[in-house]
Amino acid sequence: MEQPKIGVFLSDCGKQLSEILDFDALTSFVKTVPNVTLIARGSEFWRGKGLQTIIDSIKDKKVNRVVVAESLTKISDINIAQAVENAGLNPYLVEVIDLKDHCVWPHQKTPKEATEKAKAMLLAAIERAKLLEPIEKIEFPAKKSALIIGGGIAGMQTAVDLADLGFEVNLIEKQPFLGGLSARVGRFFPTDDCAICIQPPSSDVKTITHTSRKCVYRSGFSEIPNLNILTNAKVVAVEGVPGNYKVTIEKKPRYVDADKCVACDKCVSVCPVETPDEYNANLSKRKAIYINVPTVHPQVYVIDEDACKFHDCAKCVEVCPTNAIDLDQKTEQVTLNVGSIVVATGFREFDTSAIKEYHYDDYPDVITNLELARMIDGFGPTGGAIVRPSDGKPAKKIVFIQCAGSRDRRYNPYCSGICCMISLKNASLIKEANPDAEVSICYIDIRTTGREHEYYYERAREMGIKFVKGRPTEIYADEEKDKLIVDVEDALLKRFLDLEADLVVLASAMVPAEGTEELAEILGLDLEADGFFKEYNAKLRPTETKQKGIFLCGGATFPKDAPTASLHAHSAAMKATKFLTSGKIVKDQRTAVINQDYCGDCEFCPVICPYGAISLEPTTEDHFVAQVNELLCEGCGVCVGTCPLNAIELRHSRPNQMEAQIKALMSMNGTSKPLVLAICCQECGHTAVDSSGMAKMQYPANVRVMKVPCAGIVRVNQILEAFKAGAQGVMVVGCKSDGCHYEVGSENAEKKMDSAKVLLKEYGIEPERLEMFKMVYIEGAQFAEAAKMMTERVTKLGPLKLMVTEGGET
Amino acid sequence: MMTQKTEKTTISFSDEVTSRHGGETLTACYQCGTCASSCPVARLDSSFNPREIIKLSLLGAKEEVLSRDAIWQCCSCFNCQERCPQNVEIADLIYALRNIALEAGHSPNIYSDFASALIAEGRIVQISKFVEKKREEYGLPPLKPVGVDDLNKILSATGFTKPEKTEESK
Repeated sequence: MEQPKIGVFLSDCGKQLSEILDFDALTSFVKTVPNVTLIARGSEFWRGKGLQTIIDSIKDKKVNRVVVAESLTKISDINIAQAVENAGLNPYLVEVIDLKDHCVWPHQKTPKEATEKAKAMLLAAIERAKLLEPIEKIEFPAKKSALIIGGGIAGMQTAVDLADLGFEVNLIEKQPFLGGLSARVGRFFPTDDCAICIQPPSSDVKTITHTSRKCVYRSGFSEIPNLNILTNAKVVAVEGVPGNYKVTIEKKPRYVDADKCVACDKCVSVCPVETPDEYNANLSKRKAIYINVPTVHPQVYVIDEDACKFHDCAKCVEVCPTNAIDLDQKTEQVTLNVGSIVVATGFREFDTSAIKEYHYDDYPDVITNLELARMIDGFGPTGGAIVRPSDGKPAKKIVFIQCAGSRDRRYNPYCSGICCMISLKNASLIKEANPDAEVSICYIDIRTTGREHEYYYERAREMGIKFVKGRPTEIYADEEKDKLIVDVEDALLKRFLDLEADLVVLASAMVPAEGTEELAEILGLDLEADGFFKEYNAKLRPTETKQKGIFLCGGATFPKDAPTASLHAHSAAMKATKFLTSGKIVKDQRTAVINQDYCGDCEFCPVICPYGAISLEPTTEDHFVAQVNELLCEGCGVCVGTCPLNAIELRHSRPNQMEAQIKALMSMNGTSKPLVLAICCQECGHTAVDSSGMAKMQYPANVRVMKVPCAGIVRVNQILEAFKAGAQGVMVVGCKSDGCHYEVGSENAEKKMDSAKVLLKEYGIEPERLEMFKMVYIEGAQFAEAAKMMTERVTKLGPLKLMVTEGGET
Repeated sequence: MMTQKTEKTTISFSDEVTSRHGGETLTACYQCGTCASSCPVARLDSSFNPREIIKLSLLGAKEEVLSRDAIWQCCSCFNCQERCPQNVEIADLIYALRNIALEAGHSPNIYSDFASALIAEGRIVQISKFVEKKREEYGLPPLKPVGVDDLNKILSATGFTKPEKTEESK
């Protein structure tokens, strides 16, 4: 490799740093360091003339390593790297340190000590720079196409967005018709408008304005040329990598040819088979050949395999004027090649029969909100009449029970979030149609937090709906009265009420859609403890998953009302667009590399990698070595910290680079206190150090900070190296466990430090000399406190005594 | 309806309850009232309402909870505990409150009588002639005497003390 020629650029940040630090001493010190060929001093190096100095020294003075001492590191880093790259040097041959926030400000009362620390920091940066290696960019092709799983409101909205933007979109729906839950509920709160409309595609030339919403079936949605809709279909296998997935889809037979069917309804009138209509909560019957409601998409009939007599009957075939019916259709396998996948599988009602005391299975007049919604729908089984399913008589007394399976640690501990509004909607719709109906809602807390939602609650009270604050303990049947009795305490009155009801409506909890676990397995996605899909970070990276290229939207992540599902859907479309739009994924090679000579036959790294980036590949029949997928690798180094054989390294954070840094940081003290090394992850750990400095929080200058990609990269032998190099104490600073930027790094580091303490004891080193800390960026005060505490602790312990073994090693 | 005034609250009371065996789940309560409507005692006696006992404990109305008779009226049917959606162990919690009450010198005198009988004879309920006769009729062997000395060793080892009799609470 080319001999390193290091340029060191010292910024005094408008003289403020040189007021504290002895810059002449720093310059003379740097001059003595081998391989340093250029030293420049200035006021700032991250922009303007300063930045030009760096560029010139690369171009003219042939500097091939750049060390910059600046403030504002996070911004400087970006600008300097960009400028260096433009000057023709690899941007990873740069090391930027922050003398202001990491040295001058936190140690402003001890200028001499600060100057010594600054020397150590500069030396560490130079030593690391010497060992840096160029890191190249790699490109992966990305197909400009997407698969959207789930044809409910979220999936359809995402599909329209992506199709409008010109991507090839495949929308698949498990059911024979699109619409999902939103089509079934009929109306949406808080406007009571029709649930089945969507924003029409902009490719529809006849759409007068883009604000005009349309029913799915007349929206022109199905005619978007680059949208392929597959109903009655589900994903059975996914292979490949982000940008290039091969998806296998199983398409169940519809037995009706969509291209021929004219929806004339003749088949339905001749079909002799009647079967309970599941779509309508089994409140009515339908034929074996059917369509859910007249307003669905596609307007093509479907045959219920379980009910149809096929060739034993075939009456529909005879009557069909277009020969659209094919009783011999078979299940098809369809293979799609897509760049991105959006999961929009939604949620469903919890099976309330689990709550035995509510007797959902025993009493037909105990129903759920979704079943009630079907009754309210004019296209529904009762034509909009509210009846008792047991005898079909009108229901005059209706009692709603909230939180049926939600906020219940026996079933679903979470609040489903939308059921209060759903019950308010259904109760109001009933009351509106039948003002004489006696409607009560038993609740624990009414949650109406959205815009306009509180007015909805207000209107319900005005309409005369009764509210009982109490969760009923039981529903029982009073046969004499021919009523159900809801047994509840009104907690506000401290009175027991036996509410009579013709119909009891359970506001069932909302749980993940059927098949969620199976799909998560196929896609390699994580689920939350509640069973919904896990978003990468609900605040910063909503709709993203740990798999690049796979996105989530709508109720698949948690129950949502329509506006929220829609918002989420558009967000997912945006994320997918960002991912697909250039047709390629560009990534630098800040990734892990395997030394195949050492690696073999253990499974630590493939199991620990939070991104599934490492696999074991056979080299010979019985020998396996790890292989890193560079597209998936995030370069955190959790694998490095786990490998028992030192067989895996990060290109941008090699062990020799880290060792050189540790030695340099510990090579000079200059304070009266024992040296403490703080190994900080580049995320929250290192930024907590930034923030303590930015706030001028004081801690002693004997604490030396080293940045690593993630606390998870730290190895036990590096802790020992630090003690050997002169550290009297070692701090490892990572993110909070649930906030680790690499999922498991911080937690693993903590476990490792616990076992390292045991090992230290064996070596005769007091285990208290090592401590793991977890903090977030804003906890600068915690870092300063921890630094002071560790200093005091190791001062009390006295100088470290290393055991000398026979070989002279410690 | 008369609204009662809660005289004094002790902030730490809920901590005292949750640190007790059986009282750990107190803070999970969100006052839905499932316990109250499940309770057979509450139906008969309006002075007993498990939801109210929990609410008063959460508020820290220590004196009120400990000195009133309510906590002694639970019949331990565990209906409430079975149905509580927050898994509050209500019946166990009431035992915990009774233990605190006993230590604070609040208990119905019948418990003192039970304790005296247990210490003296090893049984809470004495064996009556009636019971002996009935057992004989059914062909059951006579009840064996309890090893009172051994029992007392256990009682003193576990810190069981006889509650002092107090003026009957109302």
